[in-house]
Amino acid sequence: MKNNIRIERAVKNITQAELAEQVGVSRQTINSIESNKYVPSTVLALKIARVFGKPVEGIFLLEDGE
Amino acid sequence: MKPHLLFPYWCRYLGWGLVIAHIPISMIGRMNGMINPLDNSAGNTGLFTGEHLFFIGTTLLMALGLFFVAFASEKIEDEQIWHVRLDSLRWAIYVNYLVLIISLIFANDTAHILELNLWVPLIFFIIRFRWVIFRLTRTLSREK
Repeated sequence: MKNNIRIERAVKNITQAELAEQVGVSRQTINSIESNKYVPSTVLALKIARVFGKPVEGIFLLEDGE
Repeated sequence: MKPHLLFPYWCRYLGWGLVIAHIPISMIGRMNGMINPLDNSAGNTGLFTGEHLFFIGTTLLMALGLFFVAFASEKIEDEQIWHVRLDSLRWAIYVNYLVLIISLIFANDTAHILELNLWVPLIFFIIRFRWVIFRLTRTLSREK
């Protein structure tokens, strides 16, 4: 699963730490999600999408073959 | 995420304290002639004798310490940490059973196999869990 959190953060001009604080996780978790090393739960994906004011599909995308 | 069934964060330091305290207590005991009943080749130490109580005390101190270290919550206990914790626990069980099976096949010292079985899962869990957390933190500092 790909995501465009890094781009959305740049648009909104917030750091990983600020996003982590807003969704209640550690900065390591945000970094792992951005690097596609960790797939978040539905709840966390919804929280992240809410911060950027977009639907989940606008932030997280299924890759070909998934 | 609420840390279910985990000790508070400060218990990690208490745990390390107990593990470290176990070392001098154990050494002083051995210097005063207290022998681990498992090391006693005669194997005739009775229950609740001085040696037996000393062995229970030091083993409990160490086990409790490792237990606190292993199951104290992180500062921010989120779903990724929870995932790493469960994954490390799975690996600890795999390694424990591998060691147990190998030692059952190649050794007949059941008392020491039992002792090994007591330490391996906890120690392996702590090492694996801390290593993954360390790697996550290192990646983060590289990104800075």
